[in-house]
Amino acid sequence: MPEFRFEPVQMPPAATRLRAEVRGFLDEEKAKGTFAPTVGAMVAADPSFSARLGARGYLGMTWPKQYGGHERSALERYVVVEELLAAGAPVMAHWIADRQSGPQILKHGAERVKKMILPEIASGRCFFAIGMSEPDTGSDLASVKTRAVPVEGGFRVTGRKVWTSYAHMAHYVIALVRTGGRPEDRHVGLTQLIVDMKSPGIEVRPIINVYGAHEFNEVAFDDVFVPEDMSVGGIGNGWAMVTSELAFERSGPDRFMSTYPLLVEAFREIGESPNASEAAELGRLVAHLATLRRMSTSIAGMLNEGKSPVTEAALVKDLGTTFEQSIPEITRRLLPLEPRGGGNGQAYDGLQQLAQMQAPCYSIRGGTREILRGMIARGLGLR
Amino acid sequence: MSNETEDAGVRHLMLRSLDRIVEEKAENAAQAADGKPGFPVDLWSALEEAGMTALGEENEGDLGLGNAMALVERAAYHTLPVPLAETILARRLLAKAGIEIPDGALSMAPPSAIRDGKATGVPWASSVTSVVTTTAPDTLALIDAREAASSGFNMAGEPRETIDLGRARIVASAKLADAAKIVEAEGALVRAVQMSGAMSRVLEHGLTWANDRIQFGRPIARFQAIQHLMAELAAEAAAGSAAALMAVEAVAERSDRLAIAIAKARTGEAAGRVCAIAHEVFGAMGFTQEHTLHYATRRLWSWRNEFGSEVQWQAEIGRAIAAGGADSLWATLTAHG
Repeated sequence: MPEFRFEPVQMPPAATRLRAEVRGFLDEEKAKGTFAPTVGAMVAADPSFSARLGARGYLGMTWPKQYGGHERSALERYVVVEELLAAGAPVMAHWIADRQSGPQILKHGAERVKKMILPEIASGRCFFAIGMSEPDTGSDLASVKTRAVPVEGGFRVTGRKVWTSYAHMAHYVIALVRTGGRPEDRHVGLTQLIVDMKSPGIEVRPIINVYGAHEFNEVAFDDVFVPEDMSVGGIGNGWAMVTSELAFERSGPDRFMSTYPLLVEAFREIGESPNASEAAELGRLVAHLATLRRMSTSIAGMLNEGKSPVTEAALVKDLGTTFEQSIPEITRRLLPLEPRGGGNGQAYDGLQQLAQMQAPCYSIRGGTREILRGMIARGLGLR
Repeated sequence: MSNETEDAGVRHLMLRSLDRIVEEKAENAAQAADGKPGFPVDLWSALEEAGMTALGEENEGDLGLGNAMALVERAAYHTLPVPLAETILARRLLAKAGIEIPDGALSMAPPSAIRDGKATGVPWASSVTSVVTTTAPDTLALIDAREAASSGFNMAGEPRETIDLGRARIVASAKLADAAKIVEAEGALVRAVQMSGAMSRVLEHGLTWANDRIQFGRPIARFQAIQHLMAELAAEAAAGSAAALMAVEAVAERSDRLAIAIAKARTGEAAGRVCAIAHEVFGAMGFTQEHTLHYATRRLWSWRNEFGSEVQWQAEIGRAIAAGGADSLWATLTAHG
């Protein structure tokens, strides 16, 4: 039977020094007022903040130096990422590029493309969006209709992508397109193409979300030219690329820390002497968080050793998003919004409202809870 | 590194040897012992001969807390009706206090259940040679309670007896700072580890069942509703096991009450969900005395209450963080890497 052991990882001494360094940087930033902690992990974007992270060597951390990276361990990167999330820092501008697009290009991109793009990502000046979903394609990714037709020196792309987070800020989008076959052919004939957002024929239209923010977009491609060497992993390998990419992004701290800043504010509001039920409710959340962090760092260790813990990662995302969704639900029972207002409660009140409205997206983005449970079931030998 | 490899090898051999003992002597032990006083003496002797009952001492030749807890976890997976966890723990506590360790099976009294001259919920009190208890918050004592115990059981039919402390004979006692708190915490640690073992048994049992049971012409594992339930069960069991493992390492390295609190809180919560889902998946079949599922689920329901329920430990965590201030939370979570 499958057994899931989340063995300990030993954080290298360099990671401990790095943690102190990142905290120092974040304290300075907060003191300068460059950001106020927010919930959502991956929703607040500030390109200048991303550039400052790049300048400090906090992006592309594990990549080779020849591509602008810093050749640090995955565990050191983990420390930086979790410190940024714990602080509620505005990391969204560079997030996709640093977390998944860059690593994908490093592993499967053409040499020219790696040299052109990776140093820019590592400097915090180049951002990516993910073009997977379409109007008729959500969880069922293999049904994409956006087409790329071979032409002299490359492809011409035509189609429509939706829910494309931060496409309006991105320099490139990695689009999953059909280079062969028909939508009925499913996994066959799919390719991932890196599309320059400045290319003629691209139109970005905002899609405003439930809480009134402009985070995602519709991206229309009308006969957009993409050079031949801008594929990731070669022509026809799009499905393998997409699935490995999603597996990598599922176990990180961004899958359970989205509402962490709200938990901190709830502790602040409740103060140093909680009553029994406040203590138990908050303590329960801490127990969950500590456990998730253990599972997530353990997976980081497995990935570092070249293992491929796909089911474990799905377990973390399922537990993690359920946890981050529960923080607003539980804290609002302890600290209701209605009779409060003003005073010390302002940070709490704002985060509480935003977290409640934002929470549904946590178990949708990066693979819905239902898709993940199906993957876990496969890992358990039930399908 | 070679020490670690050697240690993993020792652990593997020890666990396989426990599996063999279970196969030969204890296939139906949980059923035979259910709700009866005493414990299977043959099985205990086999464990003793294999050197599995004396792992917890803090002296030379000690195989270490990690190995001891791996064994406790495996014994719980097998739902063995013996005071193995209690004996290992009692030996650890006696070693801490510098009290000479007697031979044979031992037990310990949960400090929070000692009042009005009585210790309640004491595992196997009348059948073990001695019981570790606290006679004051900072005094650890070893008592012989065989003539002073009255019968009782937890939900799993494991002996949980009441000792009339006035009638028990004190064998030895010694000062140990925070003795009562230490016994409570270490008891919680072993129950968390045991729950991890029992949850992995329930998961394994459930997976086999879902693949074997045919309804509507196909194994129920083919139904998405069942798949999603089992996925949730696996996730909760994995979280519980991760929390327990984390606490064992923390306690082996340093005194870490918070890690134990986290482990007992998380495994206790997971246990409730794991049992509920398993019984849902097994349907009426699993709800009978005849079926074996309940040997694990009734233990989980019992153990999550013993040495402090998850709510008590959750509250302790909440109070500890609150007392340090909101901004201490992150520093606490990341204090040990």
